[in-house]
Amino acid sequence: MPDNWSFVFAAYVLAALVLGAYWRRLGRRERELTSKGASTAPSETSPRKDCAGKAGARTGGASRP
Amino acid sequence: MSGLQRGLGWLAVASLTAGIVMALGVAPREATQGNVQRIMYVHVPAILVAYLAFAVVLVASVIYLWRRAAGADRLAHASAEVGVVFTGINIATGSIWGKPTWGTWWTWDARLTSASIMFVIYLGYLLLRAMIEDRERGARFAAVLGIVAALDIPLVHFSVYWWRTLHQPSTLLRPGPAPMDPTFVVALTINLVAFALLYAYFLARRVRLLEREEQVLA
Repeated sequence: MPDNWSFVFAAYVLAALVLGAYWRRLGRRERELTSKGASTAPSETSPRKDCAGKAGARTGGASRP
Repeated sequence: MSGLQRGLGWLAVASLTAGIVMALGVAPREATQGNVQRIMYVHVPAILVAYLAFAVVLVASVIYLWRRAAGADRLAHASAEVGVVFTGINIATGSIWGKPTWGTWWTWDARLTSASIMFVIYLGYLLLRAMIEDRERGARFAAVLGIVAALDIPLVHFSVYWWRTLHQPSTLLRPGPAPMDPTFVVALTINLVAFALLYAYFLARRVRLLEREEQVLA
């Protein structure tokens, strides 16, 4: 039987691509959650405490145009 | 990512590298099939790790229904997702192996069909979880499905003995010694360990992500 190296490489590359894609997906989701968490968590240096007045504090400190 | 997770990840990368060297360099050329048999070193560990992943889903689902532990639910969810990834790799690499050896990419053989059914069942499990908004209800339904779906694992594994199939009998997890030269067994074992470490790494990361998702959504 011929060696069929192309099939061997195709199988290994495909497996690597699938595993790499899943690894990247986990990383992307982690970054999304980090940015979401940072935007929702109250922080010591948030505008609510430093700049916003009472009205800003009542509306959650969100700056409105 | 915690230090333990990072360590597990690097361990998985190191063992995968060793596995590839063993599979493509050290393991001898198989006498009948030639070099195409080297696909076995990805194909077999992928399904064995998928069995492990779905067995974890089973155990975690039982624990969830029994104790209502949120951690068990997260473990089941994460393990099912990683198991689907490994089952997909197993089916795809099997198809690539089938073309030069059987002359076809796909046939409705008992092993191929039962493995595909397992893949679809656990995809359905993940869809079910995504569709039900009530977290508690979704977890309960998913736990029941996680237990019922596990019935397919022995069906996949023993399909080559219970029906007449094109697929060869199991290489590992069979009665008696493996029907191979020890060099093949060593290469296969190293790849199996590498895939198991990769599974543990993905599982730990996915469980942690599910925890954080719940914290952010709460």
